[in-house]
Amino acid sequence: MASQDEELFDLIAQEALIDRGKLTREATLADLGLDSVDIVTVVFAVEERYQVEVPQDAFDGVTDLGGFVDTLGTLIAPKIA
Amino acid sequence: MPRFQRRIVVTGMGAISALGLSAPATFEASLEGRGGILDHEFDPGPNGPAPVTMPCALAPGDVVAATEEALGRRIGGSVDLFSLFALKAAREALDQAGLVVDGDLGDRAAVVLGHGFAGIHSLETAYERFFGQRTFKVHPMTVPRVMVSAPASAVAMEFGIRGPVFATSSACASSGHAIAQGAALIDSDQAEVAVVGGAEAIATPACLRAWQALGAISAAPCRPFSSGRDGMTVGEGGGAMVLETLEHARARGARPIAELAGTGMSSDAFHWTQPSLEGACAAMRGALEGADVVDESELLISAHGTGTPLNDKNEAAALRAIFGERFRDHPVIATKSAHGHLIGAASVVQGVIGILALEARTAPPVLNYLGPDPDCDLELVLGAARPIGADVLLLNAFAFGGLNCSLVFRRWT
Repeated sequence: MASQDEELFDLIAQEALIDRGKLTREATLADLGLDSVDIVTVVFAVEERYQVEVPQDAFDGVTDLGGFVDTLGTLIAPKIA
Repeated sequence: MPRFQRRIVVTGMGAISALGLSAPATFEASLEGRGGILDHEFDPGPNGPAPVTMPCALAPGDVVAATEEALGRRIGGSVDLFSLFALKAAREALDQAGLVVDGDLGDRAAVVLGHGFAGIHSLETAYERFFGQRTFKVHPMTVPRVMVSAPASAVAMEFGIRGPVFATSSACASSGHAIAQGAALIDSDQAEVAVVGGAEAIATPACLRAWQALGAISAAPCRPFSSGRDGMTVGEGGGAMVLETLEHARARGARPIAELAGTGMSSDAFHWTQPSLEGACAAMRGALEGADVVDESELLISAHGTGTPLNDKNEAAALRAIFGERFRDHPVIATKSAHGHLIGAASVVQGVIGILALEARTAPPVLNYLGPDPDCDLELVLGAARPIGADVLLLNAFAFGGLNCSLVFRRWT
């Protein structure tokens, strides 16, 4: 797994209080119990750490964690390049 | 005077304060005369005025880690500090009570917690970002963290409590009213068991400045009923009790620690910060008469005892009015001198200490005492802990805005 994914998985586990071991790219947001409040909490933490703006509709159509971290990764890539 | 129709007992207690992260730790420190009031620096950050240092009574160590260990799960920063206090204390109280809320009991269980304020740490953080840093980025969980009912909801969710769950707020009497309301729910058969108490976490730079602006805070650790007293000291913490009917406790083999025998509530309807003799007397009289306390040879009195000039003078006068010539038969403790003024959590933490003092037959000393004030000639426990013969605890809370609540507990024998 790319280091960027791992970094985001760590942050998701911490902010959404989810067991880090359950986080895989294939896991769905629903199966992980990631609800809308968890998502805005994670997004807030990402915006804080990487100083980025995450558009409100950024996750439209995203159902699995892979899609979730890919979307975030696209936004933060310029900041960690 | 209203009397309980059912016998209501305390079967579990928890506390967290500057004196320790549990009820026994809090009680032991108070008995040993180890105060928790220390000088702390409060820094408003780069957008605020210069940092200030003032005495304050803050819970020691890592409260998040202690609460996570008690609950056996991660919490992180998901709730405000006042909810953490409530969760930790409730866990301890339920453990001591040996009460597992499952099955149908969940529907017959209540939570009533008192808070004078709300999630001030979270609110101040959000406002500092908005007004100070001038950013729209406030934490998305700010509202659920700040709301005054957050600790009650957190406790209900943690332990599966689905009956009446709400917060009470009456400034410094909030957890007194919470205990009284929890008992009323049980007495009126709206609940079989109740987790009651309160929590408070207001030691933030701007909130403390507001207390200072009111002229309520002493520059030294508070010295209740002492000559030279000039104000209170803010403390943070929380406490919880498990209340249930005696019948319910016996049916499940639980040992009562004390009986909640009487509650008295009154309003001065007079002044924001000045207390009234009549209001204080009415609350005490209600609790004592409701508990059928007559001609008791010795009561233990846990005074409101904030260390402000007016409160202590008024409370001493009220105790003289209630007990007449025999007012000095009753030892008086004022534990805010050790754990600070816990505001909405004051009654429950003082209740925990007072009940443990009845059990131990030993009363903790009033700290920081400089010498007698003729207006406060009570039978204060001074210097060191001392033996007591009391079987009854009278606990007072006389809050800003004139809201009063007195409670009477009986030692369980």
